[in-house]
Amino acid sequence: MARKTILQVLGIVLGLGMLVACGLVSPEASFTATHPEGLGAGKPVCSECHTNDVAKGAMKPYASFDHTPTFVQDHRFQANQDVNTCATCHAQSFCVDCHGGKVPMKPAIKLSDSPERMAPHRGDFLTLHKIEGKLDPSSCYTCHGRANNDKCRACHR
Amino acid sequence: MKRHTYVALLATLMSASAWGQEVSLYGTTMAQMWKQETPGFDKATYTPATQYLGIDATKLGSDNLSLHLFGWGQADLSDATSFDGSKSRGYLNYGYLQYRFNQANAEIKAGRMTVNQSTGFEQVDGISVRTDLRGGFTLAAFGGKPVLYRTVNPVTQSDYDFQRDLIFGARLGWRSGRAVEFGLSYLQDGTKAAKDLTFPSATDYTRKQMGADITITPTSSFDFRGRTVLDMASHPAVAVGATEPSKIAEHDYTATVKLGSQWSVSGNYAERNFFAYFAGTNLPSLFRQDEKDMFKGWGGKVTWNTTASFQMTADYRHMHRESFGDANRAGGDLRWDFNEKSVLLGVGAHWVNAVDTKFVDPAAPYRSLSHREARVWTLVTRGRLSASLDGIVQRYETGNPYLAGMKTLYEGVGSLGFQATPSMKVSGDISYGSNPVAKHETRGLLKAEYRFGTAKKGGK
Repeated sequence: MARKTILQVLGIVLGLGMLVACGLVSPEASFTATHPEGLGAGKPVCSECHTNDVAKGAMKPYASFDHTPTFVQDHRFQANQDVNTCATCHAQSFCVDCHGGKVPMKPAIKLSDSPERMAPHRGDFLTLHKIEGKLDPSSCYTCHGRANNDKCRACHR
Repeated sequence: MKRHTYVALLATLMSASAWGQEVSLYGTTMAQMWKQETPGFDKATYTPATQYLGIDATKLGSDNLSLHLFGWGQADLSDATSFDGSKSRGYLNYGYLQYRFNQANAEIKAGRMTVNQSTGFEQVDGISVRTDLRGGFTLAAFGGKPVLYRTVNPVTQSDYDFQRDLIFGARLGWRSGRAVEFGLSYLQDGTKAAKDLTFPSATDYTRKQMGADITITPTSSFDFRGRTVLDMASHPAVAVGATEPSKIAEHDYTATVKLGSQWSVSGNYAERNFFAYFAGTNLPSLFRQDEKDMFKGWGGKVTWNTTASFQMTADYRHMHRESFGDANRAGGDLRWDFNEKSVLLGVGAHWVNAVDTKFVDPAAPYRSLSHREARVWTLVTRGRLSASLDGIVQRYETGNPYLAGMKTLYEGVGSLGFQATPSMKVSGDISYGSNPVAKHETRGLLKAEYRFGTAKKGGK
């Protein structure tokens, strides 16, 4: 009997919670799922066309998403806050080129015919990583801390 | 997840794609070959064949429901490339169903996915949701079983599996007009701390982190964003007299100012305390929490777009690591594009000055980390043909014990591609280089990329 009462109370609370939550949801229409026009080759500069506009949903100037060298190197906050904006042009498979979790080869080999993309670990990174690891191991951690470690384990047991 | 459950789930998901009104199937087939002759080891010939495969199926019965799958498999046709001697391997990077609502940018995902709504960047077998709320609020949350890798010592793997039984996280954000966004997030990975195990583990794999992020974009020409992450887990008391490790896992802030249409200046400050930041690693021998080390870095980047076809970037970064000392990195990159980006050319050079680093190994009292790096690359596209060259040279200080007596390392890669049809491209690469493992190294690679289907959005 006590269990039934608890479940009833829980059900009522969840039901009320859902009703309140639905009332809290923004009535605005969602951001477009795909970019309405095709984009040219190379890294886009959103603010070239979207002058003084604010990206709907993200509520930030389109210039925040200009693919500058800084953006390409450090886009995690945009991806964290505004993944819908990214998804209008990029499929998830684009992210996996570098952020696959467990991958069979380094991104620079997979993208060897696209030198314009700043794929990490070009050249003999096996040698260089001993130095990079001394200077800043936290830069390795995002990808290798809890993920793609089969090769690491050969030496770092 | 057991293997047969995994296969059944994958088969169900793949068959579901048949219901999609827009299905896109894309893949890359790669064949590599290289020979290796390393002193002290047998000669070996490696010929791994790799297949990447992805499926995006949209409008599964409803315009809003879609399925996304991506994974890879690899087989060694001669000597084994993996250290455990196995000749085949594979992995599902993601496989999830997504329902995207027409209102409030709301969506639900279920399956294997990468989540980054909170302080981490995690692969999860579970569910994630996000929506915009009234008043400028946004809410994102996820929960499930963390994707684990069998990569640590089998003796401690059981502790690792046992502790990391559940992962969940959430972020509540608030946007004020176009100017400001604040976010508060929480991540918990595992429910059983090392000290709570029947036989307490030497390493604590659990994480409890609280994050606060901020974005300020008052105008199109100014952007400030970053976050601070705090370690919320309770740890065993430190020994009397020892320093209490910092609860701050990370500070990372970047400001960017655009000066007119041609100049952009950005600055970054980052600080990471390893005891808190490395919590949850599955490679504690490498990302060592017990070092209680700390990293601080600051630097900047100046970009000059003189015309639409030329870009120049100069960058500088100062790095300080508590245990090893200071280092500076500086350099620049030039990039041109001609004929509506049918010819791209890039040149870059960087210097790392690490003369202030402390001795790190008594057996080799001086290990200079200083080095220089130069890179030149070009990509030319003419009709269906494309060709690229990419060369990189690294020059180290004399006496660096990492380099087996070498001072200059280099690698060059040449690639030739042919776009056979709009949806299929074949290419071949050949690379040559010299490094401490192989004084002369030649590698070949053949690649076929293809995309079939009706979905509009691609991987680019």
